[in-house]
Amino acid sequence: MSKSVFAQEWVLLRHNPTWWAIFVLLLVLTIVAAFNGTARYNQVADVVESLNTDELATQSALQDTVARHEMNPVGDPPAVTSAGTVGLSLLGHYAILPLDPLAALAVGQSDVQPTYYRVTAHPSHTFLNATEIQNPMNVMYGSFDVAFVIVFLIPIFIIALTFDLMSKEKERGVLGLVIAHGVSLKGFIVAKCLARALLILLILLVLGIVALVLTGAELGSAAVWMRFGLWFSVVALYAFFWFALALFVNAWNQPSVTNGVVLANLWLVFVVVLPAFANIVATTLYPAPSRVKLTTEMREAAELAEQRAAEAREAYYFDHPELSGDSAVADAFFIQVLATDAAVERVASPLMQEFDVQAASRQRVVELIQFTSPAIMVQNALNLISGTGSEHFQDFTAQVMKFHGRWRGFFTDRILRGEPMTALSFDEIPQYSHESRGAGILAAGVLGPMVGLALFVIVMAGSAIRRYSRYPVV
Amino acid sequence: MILTVARKVFTEVMRDGRIKWSAAIFAVMLLVAMATAAQRYVDISVERDSAQEVVNEQWRAQGEKNPHAAAHYGVYAFKPVTPLSFFDTGITSYTGVSVWLEAHNQNDAEGEPARDATAIARFGELTAAFTLQMLLPLLIILLAFPAFAGERENGTLRQVLSMQVAPHQLLFGMALGAAGAVAVFIIPILIVGLLALIVSPVGLVFLGHGAIMIAVYLIYGLIFLFLTLAVSATARTAKAALVAMVGFWAVSSFVFPRAAADLARLVYPTPTAVAFQQGIAGDMEMGLDGVSPDAAIRDLTERTLSLYRATTVAQLPINIQGMIFDLQEEFGAKVFDKHYSQLYSTLDAQRGIHEMFSVLSPRMAVQMASMELAGTSLDHHLFFTRQAEGYRRSLIKKMNNAITFNSEAGQANYRAGSELWGQVEPFKYEYPTLMSSLTRLGPSFMIMFLWLGVSIVTGLLAVRKLKVMVG
Repeated sequence: MSKSVFAQEWVLLRHNPTWWAIFVLLLVLTIVAAFNGTARYNQVADVVESLNTDELATQSALQDTVARHEMNPVGDPPAVTSAGTVGLSLLGHYAILPLDPLAALAVGQSDVQPTYYRVTAHPSHTFLNATEIQNPMNVMYGSFDVAFVIVFLIPIFIIALTFDLMSKEKERGVLGLVIAHGVSLKGFIVAKCLARALLILLILLVLGIVALVLTGAELGSAAVWMRFGLWFSVVALYAFFWFALALFVNAWNQPSVTNGVVLANLWLVFVVVLPAFANIVATTLYPAPSRVKLTTEMREAAELAEQRAAEAREAYYFDHPELSGDSAVADAFFIQVLATDAAVERVASPLMQEFDVQAASRQRVVELIQFTSPAIMVQNALNLISGTGSEHFQDFTAQVMKFHGRWRGFFTDRILRGEPMTALSFDEIPQYSHESRGAGILAAGVLGPMVGLALFVIVMAGSAIRRYSRYPVV
Repeated sequence: MILTVARKVFTEVMRDGRIKWSAAIFAVMLLVAMATAAQRYVDISVERDSAQEVVNEQWRAQGEKNPHAAAHYGVYAFKPVTPLSFFDTGITSYTGVSVWLEAHNQNDAEGEPARDATAIARFGELTAAFTLQMLLPLLIILLAFPAFAGERENGTLRQVLSMQVAPHQLLFGMALGAAGAVAVFIIPILIVGLLALIVSPVGLVFLGHGAIMIAVYLIYGLIFLFLTLAVSATARTAKAALVAMVGFWAVSSFVFPRAAADLARLVYPTPTAVAFQQGIAGDMEMGLDGVSPDAAIRDLTERTLSLYRATTVAQLPINIQGMIFDLQEEFGAKVFDKHYSQLYSTLDAQRGIHEMFSVLSPRMAVQMASMELAGTSLDHHLFFTRQAEGYRRSLIKKMNNAITFNSEAGQANYRAGSELWGQVEPFKYEYPTLMSSLTRLGPSFMIMFLWLGVSIVTGLLAVRKLKVMVG
């Protein structure tokens, strides 16, 4: 490559109004997107805060009632000394998914998946389906977040900047002149590309830092910078993919207009068409089981359990041999509730498991299918980095299910033993704490898309370079 | 003259290899979208209908119990799917499909399909509507952008203008030629779609919707066609025309909808589920307009006693418990109506923002119309939930009346049987009429016609200037 060509290109680019205009436009879009992401992030944080206050208020009211009775035990003990009343009716524990440090950069699936569950002593299917209030129109349109700017808009800008990379030089007759001055075609192309790649990197870095600062990420935290490093690598690879694609399309020696049309079509294919087809493939291969069927079957089971209450109770006694003989201590009403719950759960849990199995299979298909389109890879990687991808929520639900066992156990043990709630026992109720998946899992998850993207870049750039060996200068 | 120009443009377009690729992608997407969606429509409608049957049967066969226990058991209402939903799925992935109708509570629809989808679903679902909204404009842009600008670059524009062609003849001729080329790809597919609609079970009811839908997409295509021609006539080079139109398409189709959604959420936030439920629970406990529910029950008891000139409820010829349930239900209805109407007015305000943005984005105006006509809009969803709620209230009232008139005071062990359950008509959803949909669409139609008018006028102005510029 020729240093002087590079220097020349660099100067030209720095003074090119189109590049500046696009940079400013991207900056504005990024600022708006970061602002949106932050607003949403804060909304979620507010909800979390209100849930915690709500639960604390409920629990301390119950605890106070019990404590007052303990200090002055006159008359019947209040209803809230019954573990059944507390665990099956009055108290619920909010299991909350903490926000990841870069959550504001990609909304991902966080607007359709629950970020908290209200765990009770009833079976898990009773609280797993709770939803947040939203305007479905807004959810359908999706969010104007930084990930959207990256996945959808960055390619358009890169195409706008590079679709006539070589064809313009040729159409203006510059190419012939340059070659006549003794610069090799290869050197000329490499210099042009390096200058542009450097500029694209700079622009992306500025956009990334702006987004990071505006979303209020903790700049002193190593976890933030580790994630930002991954974020930047993915975004840069994606930008280079589009750049390499433009280079490749230019190598076919067509007029600028044709290059523009071809690249617009390729954008459509990678960003719109392939994802839409991929979705159809995933949902056709592993369709979600019917929620309608789930509804009717669980209803059937509940009704049956109520009709055959005695049978359900017997089955429950059979499963809990510690109860028999000494059942007088336990509250018959709550034993009946638990028995009915257990009967419904026997029907519900295999059905619910079917949902999980299908969801996991679908997720695996998506992880394979993503390699067909860089746009899907990048969206998945950005969701992973922000902790808003499907697998993140599946992990959350799995952890909550496990926790539910502990929480429920706390109350059912007491109900079965006929042991009342004491003021102190309220402090022993298990509390959910989310175990965030380690940086290793995150890096491993992002590795696939990164390798995929790198391959796309190498193949595209390689094919372009080979093609340029046959590029007619005049 | 218009026909001569049209024929020339048509022939040119059909020969252009670049267009063939775009058109092929377009046609394949449209076909795949319609075929998979038609299959899904059949599956879903069979499933929902049979689920409704099952639930109705469960209700009838629930055995002997107190009517209030039956009211707690309740029924489910399943949202039926319209045959046009295979064309445009609208918001259906993001709304629940069934509502549990039980005593005391107005429940929200549950089981939204989006919960079971992966992140790629968010790129957009492949439906015929999505293809037409996103790809049809691009196809039109790609085949119409060189119309004037290309001729100018080749130097043939001057010759064309030197012939006796009026500017408007040139514009409409080119538009006709390009539209003809697009029609070659679309009309066969649309005919297949219409036939599928006609043979579907309730298809004939929606034939009018389908016809208007086609008109909507025709207008949409024309908007982009005339805009592209206008830009092509104005732009210095074909390249500039292409960049400008693709930019407009990308921003108006992809950026504005998301911007509208975020702005709507920000300006008119919906309450969180917890706050919403707390608001309802608070009113249920404290009562509306200062009268606590307990006081209202005491008042009702006293009034009833004096009406029958009785001193204790045991002397009443009716069971006052049923009346109390009824009172609670009516009170609950007031509380729900208060909170849900607040929520609905927030959603309506958000819709206002979406409509505002559709002034900038023809796609959003068309999408609103398309969803509404397909029966997959938010309005349709709320229409369904309201109907389900109305059904719930009448069902619970029947149960409470049975307690009041068929059982004696204090008779907790009263049991009703299949005779009472059979008196409850099964839930049957009545679709909103086409007229009501069209009324709702007033603003969207106005915006679409505005766009069409503006694009034709700018086209005419641009070709008129063309003459001056070259001559």
